Amino acid sequence: MFIPFLLLTCVTELTGIYLREFLHIRNYPIYNVYLLFECGFTSYFFYYLYQPYNYPVKWLYTWYAIFMVIYLSELFRLNFLNFPSATASIMSVVFVFACLYFYYLKLKDEHFEPLLYSASFWWVNGALFFYFGSTACNNFMDYLASHESIIYNKSIRYVIYNILDILMYACWSYAFICRYRQRKLSPL
Amino acid sequence: MQISTKEVISLIGLTSVIFLIAPLFLILYVLSYNRRKKKHKEDTVTMQKNFETELLRTQMEVQEQTLKTVAYDLHDNIGQLLSLTTITLSSVNISDTEGTAEKLALVEDLTMRSIKEVKALSRLLHGEEIVSRGLAAAIDFELQWLRRSDRFKITYNHDQEVLNLDNIKETILFRLFQEIINNIIQHAKATEINIDLKQTDGSCILQITDNGTGFNVDEALSRKSGMGLHNIVKRSAMIQGTADINSTPAKGSTITIKIPQHN
Repeated sequence: MFIPFLLLTCVTELTGIYLREFLHIRNYPIYNVYLLFECGFTSYFFYYLYQPYNYPVKWLYTWYAIFMVIYLSELFRLNFLNFPSATASIMSVVFVFACLYFYYLKLKDEHFEPLLYSASFWWVNGALFFYFGSTACNNFMDYLASHESIIYNKSIRYVIYNILDILMYACWSYAFICRYRQRKLSPL
Repeated sequence: MQISTKEVISLIGLTSVIFLIAPLFLILYVLSYNRRKKKHKEDTVTMQKNFETELLRTQMEVQEQTLKTVAYDLHDNIGQLLSLTTITLSSVNISDTEGTAEKLALVEDLTMRSIKEVKALSRLLHGEEIVSRGLAAAIDFELQWLRRSDRFKITYNHDQEVLNLDNIKETILFRLFQEIINNIIQHAKATEINIDLKQTDGSCILQITDNGTGFNVDEALSRKSGMGLHNIVKRSAMIQGTADINSTPAKGSTITIKIPQHN
């Protein structure tokens, strides 16, 4: 499930660049749709990480419902003509809390796990870097969109998002290596 | 005061950097806490291993004590009886029918006493079995041997109701009893020993008092070797209990061991 999601992310990014750089049209509709998949997948993945601690599935469905209400109401407010940045901000904050809750569960757990080699731990670290680091950018998304190009030649949003992406994918790549080693060493 | 757009953008950039540093420290904290958790787990395993080693040592000491008692008894009792039997048999004069009959009766009596002693020894050799009968019975059995020497006036009081201690605690407490009695025999020069075994407020209390020479408790505890008082305190703590040692020189000593029945 993770690989198709990464593939979808890749396709979305490439299509976004193509629309903006070559066709010179705004690429927000494609990101509006992608936001749904991002929320759906990331939330489910957190739920998957919480499962060993008997986390009830009803909270996942509740969060999906709340997200849909916020997402649709913002899109209606924008007449489907812009990116729902408030929804993205709320989603980021929720994911930051999800990361913190994961750490809380790990610290509370009496069973010891070498976190330095834990795939789930590094996946959460990557997610925390990305969603916590992007909070400032998300909150000032509209301001930056309208002002930054006047002051700087390059967009500061892209610089920040590039750093965040590098951090997140570095953590996720390490998580994949941990998972691979874990599978290889596992007798089953 | 108006903030320029450039300043706002710089501020957003700075905030983003701070928002990146915060998770970094959080991750470092989680990792360091996890390391401490690992150390705590390793310490727990080490403590468990030490406990098991100490328990094994205690069980071996109980057996060793039993073997010592057997050795003394073989030498002092059965050996003497058999020597007497040999001497009596060798002095038999077949021509003296009346004397022979008397001597044979004596030999029979000596042999019967030897058989009785051997049976008692055989019971004692089942070291594990002693403790499995229950602590009160095991102490009673041990005291029977001590009473035979007639060196001490022994008083033993214990509660009739069953003392609820698990096997490990009973073995260790029994070994503590043996060690204290050994100390009294070897060092105290006592003539009276009082033993109390009772159950109070969810705890099992074993109190041993003697009227011997007594000793300086602090001095004895500071010495690592010697009477093994350290061992008594350490082993009591091992089963979440306490050992209270009171002694006045020339007036005797009292050792009270208190063990909780449930953890």
